Amino acid sequence: MPSRHEESGDSRTINRRNVLTTIGAAGAVGLAGCGDQSGSGDGGSGDGSSDDGSGGDGLFPLQVQLEVNADNSDRVQMVELIAESMEQTEYFETQIETYEWNTYVGRVLDPEYQNNGYVPCIGLSGTFNPESFCNALHHSDNVGACCNLNGINDSELDELMDSARYGQEVAQDNALRAERYDEVWNYLAEERYSSITHFDLATSVSNTDVHGFEMWPFQEGMYSYNMFAPQDEQIMWIDRDTAAGDSELSDLVEGGTLSIAVGANIESFDPPHSSDTTSTLAQNFLFEGLVANDTEGNIYPWLAESYELLDTTGIDRTAYADYMSTVGTTEDGIVDTDEQIIVQHPEDNPAEDDEVRVLLPDDAVEAAEDGTYGMHYRYSLQEGVEFHNGDEMTAEDVVATYEYYENSQLAPQTFDSVLTAVEVDEYTVDVYAQIADAEAERELPGILVLNANQLAEIEKGSLDPREDNVPIGTGPYEFAEFEDEQYYEVTKSDSYWVEQQGVAEAFSWFDGSDAFPDGPVIDGFEVEIVPDDSTRSGALQNGEIDSTYGLNSSTLDDFDSSEDYLVYGVETGGYEYIQYPVNVEPFDDPRLRQAINHLIPRQAIVENVLNGYGRPAWTDLPELAQGSGTADYDALEDEIRPTNEYDPERAAELLEEIAAEN
Amino acid sequence: MSLQRFILKRAVSVIPIMFGVSVITFGLFHLTPGDPVTQLVALNPDVSAAEEAALRERWGLSGPVWEQYLTWISNVLVGDFGQELRTGREVSAIVWRRLPETIALGLFGWAFALVIAIPAGIYAAVNKDQLGDTVSRFVALSGISIPNFWLGLMLILIFSLYLGLFPVLPPSRQPLYHPDMLWYLILPGITIGTASAASIMRVMRTSMTEELNKEYVTAARAKGLPERTVILKHVLRNSLISVVTLAATLTASIVAGSVVVEVVFNWPGLGREFINAINQREINVVMAITLFTGFFVILANLVADIVYAALDPRIRYD
Repeated sequence: MPSRHEESGDSRTINRRNVLTTIGAAGAVGLAGCGDQSGSGDGGSGDGSSDDGSGGDGLFPLQVQLEVNADNSDRVQMVELIAESMEQTEYFETQIETYEWNTYVGRVLDPEYQNNGYVPCIGLSGTFNPESFCNALHHSDNVGACCNLNGINDSELDELMDSARYGQEVAQDNALRAERYDEVWNYLAEERYSSITHFDLATSVSNTDVHGFEMWPFQEGMYSYNMFAPQDEQIMWIDRDTAAGDSELSDLVEGGTLSIAVGANIESFDPPHSSDTTSTLAQNFLFEGLVANDTEGNIYPWLAESYELLDTTGIDRTAYADYMSTVGTTEDGIVDTDEQIIVQHPEDNPAEDDEVRVLLPDDAVEAAEDGTYGMHYRYSLQEGVEFHNGDEMTAEDVVATYEYYENSQLAPQTFDSVLTAVEVDEYTVDVYAQIADAEAERELPGILVLNANQLAEIEKGSLDPREDNVPIGTGPYEFAEFEDEQYYEVTKSDSYWVEQQGVAEAFSWFDGSDAFPDGPVIDGFEVEIVPDDSTRSGALQNGEIDSTYGLNSSTLDDFDSSEDYLVYGVETGGYEYIQYPVNVEPFDDPRLRQAINHLIPRQAIVENVLNGYGRPAWTDLPELAQGSGTADYDALEDEIRPTNEYDPERAAELLEEIAAEN
Repeated sequence: MSLQRFILKRAVSVIPIMFGVSVITFGLFHLTPGDPVTQLVALNPDVSAAEEAALRERWGLSGPVWEQYLTWISNVLVGDFGQELRTGREVSAIVWRRLPETIALGLFGWAFALVIAIPAGIYAAVNKDQLGDTVSRFVALSGISIPNFWLGLMLILIFSLYLGLFPVLPPSRQPLYHPDMLWYLILPGITIGTASAASIMRVMRTSMTEELNKEYVTAARAKGLPERTVILKHVLRNSLISVVTLAATLTASIVAGSVVVEVVFNWPGLGREFINAINQREINVVMAITLFTGFFVILANLVADIVYAALDPRIRYD
């Protein structure tokens, strides 16, 4: 989300004496941003308590500067709590600097930032892929990019993380992968380069007319997942007469229109040309993927009836050199081509070289046909799947969709792993991965299947009613109406393939109850676009909508205490962390980092700052990604939680040790 | 100088003003940190620096600011306001679609302000320093001091949630020109007009009081004219000049107010679009809306100048 604050780029100092002391004391939390603007640190004068710090020599009390973006008041409060907790040991003198969001991002992503010795705090969003909770923060490839802010460069850790995702063995063996990730978490607990503080909860509120709702890990799948998800036997229905509570499948009522409000305009209905939550939410009504996930991230065939891994090789990306085209670069160091770059030769650098070798889409097909690829998956498509315009979905549509994803907003994600997709016969598609990759099973089919006939007629990025193109998918709902910035409507498709075939017939993996309906039962969705949180909340209270999401935690408490509303919260992979400047003394000492980690009041942060709408990060891995991220989640938590507990005594011991050596 | 020449002269002076507005806005926009590319990909680990640079190049954000400005202004001069960067949609189409919504809201708010403020101002001036005057001055001061967003939320709370007279969300399926929409304009219109009403009322009162002390009033009264005629025919007309000036300048504050009011009342106008565009650093949209509202405010002032002459034939344009 873009920042709402448009302050100047100047930073602001929060004087620590203005932060209420809350650790240990009951309850109250310091108000964010209540500090005066004096700018200079207080130097301890007038404070009295910190003058005779126990360290007493050169190193302690250590000056630590924590940095955070000002627009996120929860995050600022969290940093204030951490700083206060550090101060109380009398080993630290802390200062908090806040920045406008864009300034902050530019600042912390600067490769030189690591030399400052600051402790930045930032939030990221993770996925079902366990990598998103370690790699972005710690891999040396991500220095100066998102989001290894303090230049962590640990080749042993890099190797551990790479070996958990890439390689012939691990790509074929999920148990091995889980084991390797366990090693990563343990290694990180030892080194503590960063401290993940908590995992966010996304929330939604519905009135009690809405039955069967269980929030899905990702907001963008929230409603579509709820209306029909045989993987988790999840179905949503509306019953205006009986209040939702312990409703069962047998109480199911068919029909009705659900009215919801979303917090932003639909940037585009074109799947690869938008990545914001509200657009994805809208697209999920209309389009479907080759596979689907359940709440734990397990993968189920969907538009593909089945899929199998035919082959895995041990090649790296230099193996494509023979197929690569040579392309010039511009003065600004940009590869001069209009085509999608599938792979750029790892040894070439467009910023320095006049020419670089790149694998373009046609080259990729050639390579795959010659047997040069990392992995070879084969997808057998469902037969008899109809698009909303009556066309049957075939391999041609799938291949055309992959091509349509080229040079789109989602191209960087897609062609991070996809080499190419090739039609085998009418109902069979081969999809190739660039290198052996354990995440390929999820990443490769990560497209929403579009209609080839429609794609042939439209310009890239214009699959949107504003461009006079009605989005056509295979999904359970059809596009009905859209008024920019105001609302859209989708109505139930008469020819939804799962309903035609029957759920048990369509999905061989389905082992749910016979009572589970063959398709969604709600007739349509009316979606109002309402950017203001309090207006959305008012509309819900006034009965104008049935459900909304993204309200602030104090409003949620009001809804939660009312009998007429149900509040749902779920981990979506969002997390926040602080990262230590490991390349600056004395932060190169793991004991110091562990000590500060023990001073982070994770429980207090979740309870006091987030009103309970969050989960303390006792391990670096959230429940959401446990499927492939650990062999045994409980065992992992038992092992690592003690290193992440709030424990000022242990912190003092460690700090004493360091002080004694100095 | 004839009226035509005056209008022509003022119309020509619009050009340097608009040029100044565009330079300042463009410059300010580039002083704020972040651009559409950082907004889009800043924290996406999959996007490489090269891909980011390529995107910046494609969106015309890679050159120096003056170069970007020259490209932009030369397009604008031939009527091309460019595209929204992320979606490639025409900016002028976006502005035209949103404009009627904001005009409807602004006109309603402005009319509300005048209808409330002028009678209240007259009443206060005539009953100067009596209870009614004190009360209306207090109300006016409150009106100026209350922030728009708070007033809006309070109106929603009272009239929508407690009394149930209005829905929280205006009906999104009703076209704007439908007569029913007048009803839904009431709350946002009041919110947007209140501060203006308060300022106009205060100016109305002051200038009316001043006029009332002038000799011609005494003369008119001595002549035996009914008080009603004295006030409405003579004094009112003379005191309106300063109100007209103020009402024209207030169009600027109504335009500014629409930004907040449209968000609170979920009114899909230019103000809401403006906030979105700023947040996403959509420079072409921001520039187009700024130019447009700037032009509108200048136009309102020009109209005010012309109205002077109608109100006071002594005024000559030279």
